[in-house]
Amino acid sequence: MHTLKRTSWAIALGLFPALAIYIGIAVVPIAMSVYYSFVDWDGLTDARFIGLDNFKEILADSVFWKSVANNLIMMATGLLGQLPLGLLLALALNRNIRGIPFFRTVGFLPVVISAVIVSLIWGKMYGVEFGLINQALDLVGLGELKQNWLGSARWAMLSLGVTYIWQNCGLYMVIYLAALQNIPSEINEAAVMDGATGWKRVLFVTIPMIRPTIWVTVVFAISNSFRVFDLIYVMTAGGPAHNTEVMTIYMYNNTFTNIRFGFGSAVSVLILIFSLIAIYVAGRLTTSRDERGKRGARA
Amino acid sequence: MKSSRLKTFWIVVFLSISSAFNIIPLLWMAVNAFKSEQEYALRPLGLPKEWIWSNFAKAWEVAKLGTYFWNSVLITLVAVVLTVFLGALASYFLSRFEFRARRWVYGSFMLGMVIPIHATLVPIFLLMQKIGLLDTRLSLILPYTAFHLSITIFILVGFMSTFPKDIEESAVMDGSGVFRIFFSIILPMTRPAIATVVILNFIYNWNEYLFALVLINDDALKTLPLGIANFAGKETTHQTLHMAALTMALVPIILFYLALQKQLVQGMTAGAVKG
Repeated sequence: MHTLKRTSWAIALGLFPALAIYIGIAVVPIAMSVYYSFVDWDGLTDARFIGLDNFKEILADSVFWKSVANNLIMMATGLLGQLPLGLLLALALNRNIRGIPFFRTVGFLPVVISAVIVSLIWGKMYGVEFGLINQALDLVGLGELKQNWLGSARWAMLSLGVTYIWQNCGLYMVIYLAALQNIPSEINEAAVMDGATGWKRVLFVTIPMIRPTIWVTVVFAISNSFRVFDLIYVMTAGGPAHNTEVMTIYMYNNTFTNIRFGFGSAVSVLILIFSLIAIYVAGRLTTSRDERGKRGARA
Repeated sequence: MKSSRLKTFWIVVFLSISSAFNIIPLLWMAVNAFKSEQEYALRPLGLPKEWIWSNFAKAWEVAKLGTYFWNSVLITLVAVVLTVFLGALASYFLSRFEFRARRWVYGSFMLGMVIPIHATLVPIFLLMQKIGLLDTRLSLILPYTAFHLSITIFILVGFMSTFPKDIEESAVMDGSGVFRIFFSIILPMTRPAIATVVILNFIYNWNEYLFALVLINDDALKTLPLGIANFAGKETTHQTLHMAALTMALVPIILFYLALQKQLVQGMTAGAVKG
């Protein structure tokens, strides 16, 4: 780094445009949403300050808690579905066999497709009459297993979970694969010498080696689960009867369908708080684990 | 060695099944895009008896894909250029200069990677309404730029701070100004990272849906995800036309991915591996 004289104006000039857009469009709106969360406003008549009434109403609404529960289901789908499957695929890919580039390319493909297109395709696959899944069940003689996959309260969340895994699993696969390829080969050789092979090696050598990466993906999976909107909105719009509604859809419906900007702002403040808490907790777990690991290594 | 060959066999089986799981939905849709409505209703599985290519021309017309593609290209490109240029300029000062507010400025940009952007949806709508930008292309370009400055700056600062210190020194001796150094030395050296962030921003903006849904109402301004969701999500009578439209929306992105896979994967996983 060099310190030139008379550069402070240049620094200010260089940083200003990026900072102005970032603060004006990303930071100020968050402050605004805190302010609006205390008012009752339909966008036309004057906003009326109502204190914590919006929050009281939200927290007393069973539909809101249903949406929180569904967010937790999406989070669990990420943590218990996408991450283990991604790790399994990465472990399978981390070796010398032919066709690995093909499998990796195909594995990551769904990640780059827009969630809207993914949802429209899967929506058609889940179709009751002509959908691929029910048709395939008929074909193999399991017609009695046919379901209204997206239209029934029992199956809708599960169906969305499968699509959610389909779309994002590949992201974690390539992250894990990169981490696996960073493990020095001597470590694996030493493990084999010590008789650690197969699953034993994976559990006691490989996974501890990539633990920092695993924690990062945990944070990724948590914050991604709070951002889920397109996938559900396009496939079920939160239905049937709020059964697949998540917090972002609850916010969207209340703000733009019921035209309650104050109420919607209060929901977005709660989304912000919830996801920051979840990420903070995950972050705390990460650092404390790592410190413990380091202390253990020193001892 | 026999057991290891058996193991390889099962691994290939596992990978093949998961690849099939990834490809079948796309293939099923692409094949059905060629069927007539009647044939799809009768036989949704299997290849079409007659491949109806005209479905695509018809879907392009009915779904107004031309308009949506154009809007997506325009909005995406402007937002990408703006984000990457402003991000690179800011990264240059954040990585190559020492000043008091540096940590603070960088830290606040990094905070943007944690904030769930959906929390800004309602206020951004109100803001755009207030300043009269609602239902304009600019109302999308600004948020897209603001949201992705964080990751852009994160990647570029990481790259630029690896350059050795004395790079600018000779230029300074020659009397070049700081902006001249940026354009003629730093920016060209950053090209590989620039490529990564351009591709990353492109894919994020191209796929964005929620903000477009809220901020754009005029059909002539809708982006591809928004337009296609309106077309293929609502009515149920034109299934194979929907699939033809979806296939046409999908093909460019798959080609884009196949051509630029390395940078795309690099960008989307940035920050994860090093921890």
